[in-house]
Amino acid sequence: MKGRVNVALLVGAVLVALVGLAAVVSFFWTPHDPTLVDAARKLREPGGGYLLGADKFGRDTFSQLMVGARTTLYVGIVAVGIAAVLGVPLGMVAGMTPRGWLSELIMRVNDLVFAFPALLLAVMLGAVYGAGTLTAMIAIGVATVPAFARVTRAATLQVMVTDYILAARAAGRRRPAIAVRHVLPNISSMLIVQASVSFAIAILAEAALSFLGFGTRPPTPSWGRMLQESQELLFSTPRLALWPGLAIALAVLGFNLLGDGLRDYLDPRLRRIREQAEPPANGATR
Amino acid sequence: MLSVDGLTVRADSAELVHQVSFAIAPGERVGLIGESGSGKSLTALSLMGLLPEGVTASGTARLGERDLVGVPESRIKDLRGRELSMVFQEPMTALNPLMRIGAQVAEVMTLHGRSSPEARARALDLLGRVRLPDPEQIFRAYPHQLSGGQRQRVMLAIALANEPRLLICDEPTTALDVTVQKQMLELIAEVAPALLFITHDLAVVASVCERVLVMYGGRVVESGPIREVFTRPRHRYTEGLLAASKLTPRGTRLPTIQGNVPPAGHFPDGCVFRNRCPQATTACEQVPALTGDGHAHACWHPAD
Amino acid sequence: MTLYLLKRLAVLVASTAVAAVVVFAFMGLLPGDPAEIALGVNATPEAVAELRRQFGTDRAPVVQFLDWFGGLLHGDFGTSYVTSSPIGPQISDRLAVTTVLVVGGMIVALLVAVPLGTFAAVHHRNPLGALISAASQIGIAVPAFLAGILLVFVFAVQAQALPSGGYVPIAENPAEWLRGLLLPWLSLGLVQGAVLTRYVRSAVLDVMREDYLRTARAKGRGSTGALWRHGLRNASIPVVTVLGLQLATLLIGAVVVERVFVIPGLGDLLLNGVAGRDLLLVQGVVMVLVAAVLLINFVVDVAYHLLDPRLR
Repeated sequence: MKGRVNVALLVGAVLVALVGLAAVVSFFWTPHDPTLVDAARKLREPGGGYLLGADKFGRDTFSQLMVGARTTLYVGIVAVGIAAVLGVPLGMVAGMTPRGWLSELIMRVNDLVFAFPALLLAVMLGAVYGAGTLTAMIAIGVATVPAFARVTRAATLQVMVTDYILAARAAGRRRPAIAVRHVLPNISSMLIVQASVSFAIAILAEAALSFLGFGTRPPTPSWGRMLQESQELLFSTPRLALWPGLAIALAVLGFNLLGDGLRDYLDPRLRRIREQAEPPANGATR
Repeated sequence: MLSVDGLTVRADSAELVHQVSFAIAPGERVGLIGESGSGKSLTALSLMGLLPEGVTASGTARLGERDLVGVPESRIKDLRGRELSMVFQEPMTALNPLMRIGAQVAEVMTLHGRSSPEARARALDLLGRVRLPDPEQIFRAYPHQLSGGQRQRVMLAIALANEPRLLICDEPTTALDVTVQKQMLELIAEVAPALLFITHDLAVVASVCERVLVMYGGRVVESGPIREVFTRPRHRYTEGLLAASKLTPRGTRLPTIQGNVPPAGHFPDGCVFRNRCPQATTACEQVPALTGDGHAHACWHPAD
Repeated sequence: MTLYLLKRLAVLVASTAVAAVVVFAFMGLLPGDPAEIALGVNATPEAVAELRRQFGTDRAPVVQFLDWFGGLLHGDFGTSYVTSSPIGPQISDRLAVTTVLVVGGMIVALLVAVPLGTFAAVHHRNPLGALISAASQIGIAVPAFLAGILLVFVFAVQAQALPSGGYVPIAENPAEWLRGLLLPWLSLGLVQGAVLTRYVRSAVLDVMREDYLRTARAKGRGSTGALWRHGLRNASIPVVTVLGLQLATLLIGAVVVERVFVIPGLGDLLLNGVAGRDLLLVQGVVMVLVAAVLLINFVVDVAYHLLDPRLR
């Protein structure tokens, strides 16, 4: 397996970098003002400075896509951040005291939160406080906590039985010190992978929420709402649905591939197991 | 009855078994010994047509009139489990965890044409024949409720169900407790029609088989009656193997064969053993042929 | 097994009750006084108090909760503060539509994933198997509502073969009912099928390496026969777990897809409730959806135990 390029990692990194680049550049420059409504450019065909044309309000599609990337990343970063900040410590506590009442309580609450998907949380928050980017981010973040807590707990359980942890405990190190110095560094690669996969799910959730009107509010451009606005024009101007749809799919694909690629790259133990499982030529010899 | 001629097994470019030839007569019990990596399991699997993906066999192997090697699976699968059966090394994973033992034993009979009620009745019978206690209960049990030794007996019952002409056992007792090993060996010796017994354990071969093939580096380096091979080994590898397994007086060093078995595909040209052989000379750069009637060896500097 | 079932049932009941408390606290208490909201800022205190008495919101929160939760147990979701119509019947009508949508989507997903995933596993060494894996990776990246829009574009706009939306009750016209549901089923099913394909592939791949499959071949089965008889049921055990998670995802996906295809299901009711600020209705629908997710998890856990004799 020497010299084999990690295709997933490469493609994923390129796609994610593209989304990131679009978002960063959009702060300084977009071809046009993405929120500028201009009846004269209504449904303008692509070309002449309007690379992908304009929508029914005359807003430049390409500029909207660029700023939409910013929205997507913003929601994703905050949501995954919330999930990690809450989920990782909870998972570590549950994993380091697997038989304690606290661990039991954490996992039960976790199961309960798991029954509230992001969309339901967003609708509940939206119904009470009014929907917006903030409620969407909180809803997606909270709904992602169980995934983080579970992965963290599973990884912590594995690390806790290793010799160096046993040695540290035998040496009388206190639990918080062990957690920070030994457990966290050893589960970090697993967490990075989880963050990447959760990011993809967050993008999907944000798009769905914006599509339903529970996400980013107008006039801030968002891919999901671009899709929703384009739906009525599907018969006449399908390209308006094409570009945001493609943007969502490629961004999600990028983060998923990045997660898969990182899993192979960061966890050589896992990769070795995989190689053994794919019986190599001489694997049958006993 | 079984005749193997020029059997060669390769994976991609690496040759894992080279030009192996031997025969087994009806009722004969033959041992195949060698260290791990010697190609003995691959030899057995190629007879069964069960080589892993990407590994292919060439040469000829015949069971009676039927070809076993180089024919599509559809043409030999009716032989498997009927004329030719195999018991594997690892009993813990060889049975389907979701199926009751009785159904798994009966399956091999219904597959080859017996009616279902008949197969079930006979399955119960077989479980008793392999000396499992309380066959009725075992019949209804799932694999996880049985010990390793019991599961291996079930595997033996499956192998014997259609009264095959040849039974192949691949290290059938290696995974078992020492106390269970002996009973299992006695049972195999008692019930096997003709036997090809694969092991790395010389004592086991001596207790079960009449004739032995010694494999090293994918080749048969010595073959002959057990008594002769074990008392007067000719090939230097066999000699080393025997010396290493002898009970030595306390305090003396156990003689070992120097070096390690190279990974597949990395054996030297000529005599495959020459890089570990204390007697090796330039003559050994040529491949020695397996010569001799009855007791044959492939060595330029045989022991006498 | 019976003990496990009872334990698991107790967990189901307890978590449903706790979920009800959460939903009630969040939707029933937080948003403020429904009577004030209904009457507006210019209402007299007497009128508000009178309406409160009618709504029953003048009672202690615990009493209100028990009243609401007690009602749920026999299908009474209360009466809308906004439309004054009972909520229960609306929910049950819409639940039937959503159930049809979700079950159909799941069937499509299984029809896609089981053959493709198995095929990709069996042929994991050749290009076609790799192609299926790559295609499923792309399918995962497409949200259900986007798949819906794409399918509408292909089958309704371009081919003009199927309606772009709308729902005809089965009692009215079975053929139109079916035609109207085809695209929603495909939108939900293809996307979930893509996700599921990956799991089926890895489950079958794991099973193919099992010793008992070699045993089955040693008995005289061909490799395909061995996989059918001994492999697929073993492979189904990990897949069932994923299937449960997927059903929950499908349920939520249905909310969005109903919006794309204008189907009067629970999602549509939920979003209308939010738009009309009918919080008691929203509260009821959210509770039903959460209970459904919990119930699905319960069924999956039990199925898991039934499938695997080692757990019995």
